[in-house]
Amino acid sequence: MKCLGIDQVYSYLEKELSSEENKKIEEHLATCLKCKKALEERSLLFQAADSLPLWQIPPDFTQQVMARVYPDKVTLRQWLTAVAVGTSSIVATLLAFFIFTGQNLTTFLSGITHTLWNLVRNIAIIFIKLFKIASLLITVARQLVEHLFENFARLTTLISPEVQISIITFSILLFTFLILGIRRKILIGEKS
Amino acid sequence: MDEDKKLVERTIKGEKEAFEMIIRKYQQPIANYIGRMVGERELALDFTQEIFIKTYSALPSYQPEYKFSTWLFKIASNFIIDHWRKKKIGTLSIDQQRATEDQKPFPQIPDSEPSIVKKYEISELRERIEKVLEKIPASLRELFIWRHINEFSYKEIAEIKGLPVGTIKNRVFQAKELIRKNLEEKT
Repeated sequence: MKCLGIDQVYSYLEKELSSEENKKIEEHLATCLKCKKALEERSLLFQAADSLPLWQIPPDFTQQVMARVYPDKVTLRQWLTAVAVGTSSIVATLLAFFIFTGQNLTTFLSGITHTLWNLVRNIAIIFIKLFKIASLLITVARQLVEHLFENFARLTTLISPEVQISIITFSILLFTFLILGIRRKILIGEKS
Repeated sequence: MDEDKKLVERTIKGEKEAFEMIIRKYQQPIANYIGRMVGERELALDFTQEIFIKTYSALPSYQPEYKFSTWLFKIASNFIIDHWRKKKIGTLSIDQQRATEDQKPFPQIPDSEPSIVKKYEISELRERIEKVLEKIPASLRELFIWRHINEFSYKEIAEIKGLPVGTIKNRVFQAKELIRKNLEEKT
């Protein structure tokens, strides 16, 4: 048998060959030092490869994945429990407060109601005022736009179409130059 | 029915604990593979999480005639290919080039071959293999990891990649020889 090919070496090491092929290779290895060395070399090398260290993962990795796969959803029952617990805690705190301070519950409640009512009334007044200002601004803006359109229409009847085109072109150019000028000024400012 | 398939069935029925068991069983093998494919620890852990999330969503489409572990690693492999495609790194899309490499016969053992193994302690050799592994093409590295670190059989790797067993064997041998050559150059 002639010397082994690299693939034969690997197939032999991985026990991928038939018993007949194995026997032939073993017979050859008994007489060929070069092939024997090459085989030993690869055998040791891939023994090391078979025992490479594990990639480290944090101990809470499973929980992290589970939290992403099953995100916590608050059920209706949990909501109702939270509301019930919250309400009963407030009632219990108030009761404890009245029992220990000896205050009159009716006076306290009427005081709170009065304060709340004043708060609601003040907020309502602010909202009404804001609404009035907004409607006034809308009326003024509408009238202004109407006047602008009226006067513009009157102007177009007085000036010939050629002059109108010239004015529009001039205005667009002026506007473009203005924008470019401002931009340049900003850029110069940035550079400096 | 094997244990994995039962766990999949239970997960589909809504048993959280069953999926938790799947994660516990496969988090280390997937991290071993992904970690060596991407190199960065945080990114590798993030990708491993993403792979489990993708797997969970894909569970209803899992066909029990396939082995669960090979199906899971197919998802992981596609995930890595997608990542490289997005980053426009063509490391895994060299199958055509690889196919021509597959045609070439393996060389004979050269007359004078330096011994690399005897120069190092086993722990140092492991470290060197890890470093060299980063340098070999991703398409070969992937197969080497599955064979030597995840301990898949050639048949299982062929199932994951959808390639003939002979081609896979050939490529794993190519990967091994490339690692050996790289180690040789480093010495």
